[in-house]
Amino acid sequence: MKKVVMDISHVTKKFHIRNSKEFFTAVDDISIELFEGEVLGIVGESGSGKSTLARCIFGITAPTSGSVSILGQSLAGKRRKSIRGLRSNLGFVFQDPSGSINPRMSVFDAISEPLKLRGDAKGEITKRVEFLIDRVGLSSNQLVRKSHELSGGQCQRVAIARALATNPKIVLLDEPTSSLDLSVQAQILNLLEELRSDFKLTYFMISHNLDVIAHLSDRVAVMKDGKCVEIGESASVLTNPQHSFTRELITVHSQNLESDPILPPNFDLDHWQDGPLNKWAFQNISKFLPVQEIAPSTNPFQFHQQPLEALESLSVPNEAQRSSLIELLENTHTDAIVVLRDGKLAYEKYFHGMQPNSLHLLQSISKSMLGALFGEFIARGVIDPDQTLGHYVPELKTSVYGSATIAQALDMNVAINFSEDYLDPNSEMARLDRACGWRHNFTGEDLGLSSFLPTLNGNGEHGKAFQYCSANTDALAWVISRVLGKPYAELLQEEIWKPLGSMYSATVTLDKDGLAVGNGGVSTTARDLALFGQSLLNHGFFNDQQILPKAWVDATFNGASKEVLVPAYLSSLHPEGSYKNQWWITGSEKREIFAVGIYGQYMWIDPSTKTVIVKFSSIPIPVDPIHSRIHMSLFRAISAAN
Amino acid sequence: MTTILKVSDLQVDFMSGEKILNSPLRGINLEIEAGKTLGLVGETGCGKTLTASAIMGLLPTTASQRGTIEFAGHGFLEASVMGAIRGSEIAMIFQNPQSAFNPIFNIGAQLTMVAQRRNIERGRIPELLIDRLASVGMSDAKRILASYPHELSGGMLQRCMIAMALISTPKLLIADEPTTALDATIGHQVLGLIRSLQQRQGFAMLFISHDVSAVAKVSDVISVVYAGRVVESGPAYDLMNNPQHPYTRGLLGAIPSAQKRRGQLTAIPGSVPSSLKDIVGCSFAPRCALADSACSKEPPLVHINQQLIACWKVGT
Repeated sequence: MKKVVMDISHVTKKFHIRNSKEFFTAVDDISIELFEGEVLGIVGESGSGKSTLARCIFGITAPTSGSVSILGQSLAGKRRKSIRGLRSNLGFVFQDPSGSINPRMSVFDAISEPLKLRGDAKGEITKRVEFLIDRVGLSSNQLVRKSHELSGGQCQRVAIARALATNPKIVLLDEPTSSLDLSVQAQILNLLEELRSDFKLTYFMISHNLDVIAHLSDRVAVMKDGKCVEIGESASVLTNPQHSFTRELITVHSQNLESDPILPPNFDLDHWQDGPLNKWAFQNISKFLPVQEIAPSTNPFQFHQQPLEALESLSVPNEAQRSSLIELLENTHTDAIVVLRDGKLAYEKYFHGMQPNSLHLLQSISKSMLGALFGEFIARGVIDPDQTLGHYVPELKTSVYGSATIAQALDMNVAINFSEDYLDPNSEMARLDRACGWRHNFTGEDLGLSSFLPTLNGNGEHGKAFQYCSANTDALAWVISRVLGKPYAELLQEEIWKPLGSMYSATVTLDKDGLAVGNGGVSTTARDLALFGQSLLNHGFFNDQQILPKAWVDATFNGASKEVLVPAYLSSLHPEGSYKNQWWITGSEKREIFAVGIYGQYMWIDPSTKTVIVKFSSIPIPVDPIHSRIHMSLFRAISAAN
Repeated sequence: MTTILKVSDLQVDFMSGEKILNSPLRGINLEIEAGKTLGLVGETGCGKTLTASAIMGLLPTTASQRGTIEFAGHGFLEASVMGAIRGSEIAMIFQNPQSAFNPIFNIGAQLTMVAQRRNIERGRIPELLIDRLASVGMSDAKRILASYPHELSGGMLQRCMIAMALISTPKLLIADEPTTALDATIGHQVLGLIRSLQQRQGFAMLFISHDVSAVAKVSDVISVVYAGRVVESGPAYDLMNNPQHPYTRGLLGAIPSAQKRRGQLTAIPGSVPSSLKDIVGCSFAPRCALADSACSKEPPLVHINQQLIACWKVGT
């Protein structure tokens, strides 16, 4: 249960209009709870009542009606003196840094003033001020200066130090970076985030800048004409706004005017997956496809670094010869590689402009995340694996999914008429891509996932032979979203992405009707995806909780029944290989499992050496048997390295 | 392509008698092609607005200017020809619409004064003003013309200012932070309006802003200024996706977003130098992670692939 540190209840503020009997309502019946440790962002245009609300909440002006209580104590009806006592739990940082510091006071005086008001002893004050000035990144010889001798960024640091002087629990940030230059704004945002996690602060942050809000906030409240028109998790408000005003604000913010200089000049929706365009496209999906955000954990997992030196000098069998690791990574068009050994970061490298915080398209590794999500809901009894897909989504009843069960779709043994040929523009796969919005829909038909999937039909008995078919996963994503009544992205976010302790948001692409592309549309950072692999390695227990059901993880590692026929491309690479719960199983003695996506996306999990490998690539063609073999020997060499 | 404006090595010093107080512009090089938009981006105090003032010939008398400004059809711009060009061939819109209008005259009176100055026939003026206001999306022209500045919102005033700038058809429009004082939704409308007017009328534009994303939205070419010099210049796409100069990289890395949520933003340490007169060598060196002894000399602006870059550490 989250602790409420501030309860704003039905606050209204009216101002009398001069020379008339009328009132102007600046804040209109606002109720918000602020939870401990969160960042609540307030957005709205000028005149929407943001600052008046803040002034009411912090007891600077009294609301006309309604009440505010801080740490369980109400401000209403209190004398000035006791409001002052309560206020030491609050810190204030205002928009104009130089205007908020008395020009006749030195930096020392400015920071120490709240401490003097509180009646602290002189020696204590000096110690505290010196601690604070260092903490906000200024040196103690700046204490004698006055505000006009400081730059705007330095003034704002002083204002932050002053706000933190009395060790407040809650800090009000009223447009803290609006009057600062971009490069200085970044310094201040970094500082605010650092202080928040070090001092366990709760921020009430007002800004008209959506970038700033999106960067820091856990929740967002949108204000218009004094009313709070929308409040919710920042990921869902900013990606899936409900109120028309929020939507307008976001569209305006993200929309480029008719010519979009951010797309490469040679961009082509029919060929972005192929090289060399994919080097850009896989890292920039949200620039050309609609996506929904999957918000990260508020308490990210902290990696321990333990570099595995053996990897630096690793020599890997590469067809007839041997190559060094770095050579092989370059030859296989690697964008990112992360290796975890015993849960610690053993190796990490990025190429082609990728960074630890860049997202990369997972392609079909997305399927393996969906598999885990089904594992969770099947274990809870929400979904019955032996029911057909059509049972849950009636639109699918007349298609092949009217007879195929959830378990059969998860294990890819639905007997379906479907050619998974990525290069044939007339294959069902290409039609699926068009339905997902991943290619131009030149046919003119009204193609979305919900109109395409019901047209697929079958050709025999289900459950007999393995047949890899991407449409199965999209149908499953539709099912789970329908059963739970929530967007697929939100389910991944709540059940997997947040519990994992992810550091960054992930995204999933949407078709024209807003259905998630479960078969390959997820983008994540390499590190965060490695956490997912680690959770499987730990039998589903990770970040102090059972994220995935142990029985499901064990069943996945055990692989599919031997009675299911396996095609040659799998058995030639892995003689005992099979496919289970949207994961590939090598069937070797080491009991490795892996997730794979076209153009060289891999996650390899080897329980025998407790190794997780994530590799993102941008190989020019979707499938290449030579590359598949090289990757297997690469991963086995890394796993065995000691 | 014809070049409409060419600024070469523009330098401005502020003087007190013979003594140089500050050198806010230390080498601005710009080239704008007809019908295209050049985005000039940089932080406070880097010389963006002063560049615009120099082009308009509006520098204060204490300023001493070197370098050349060449305008198509007029050769080098000098004070003697500016009277004929300013406002008619080169028009400008300013950052703060509230303070750009005179509060004691109504909009109609102010637009009429401008029209008279452009030698437009008296009888044609009312009709022309209604037409110009309609072109900036204000169909209620009669009411607008009768209004005083304080009776209109910031967005409406900015539209009026654009209408005023376009009374005669300029070849070059200088827009100095035209959306900074406006709310996001209104700013976006104004940006869209400027773009569509540009497409219809074909004027070139010098678009000045500290807002990198606004510049990226409208510009064909972007020039980045730092401490009074252009440090990087190139086609908008190349510059945004492949910034080369350490300052440009820092600036683009400093933009917060949901994607980079709570991750460290690239913060450039320190701040823009306030006095530029005693700078020796590369002005960015004190804040630059790559700086070494080579940077004690001033780097020239040189071509590297599609871009012009002034940095010793790029391309070597």
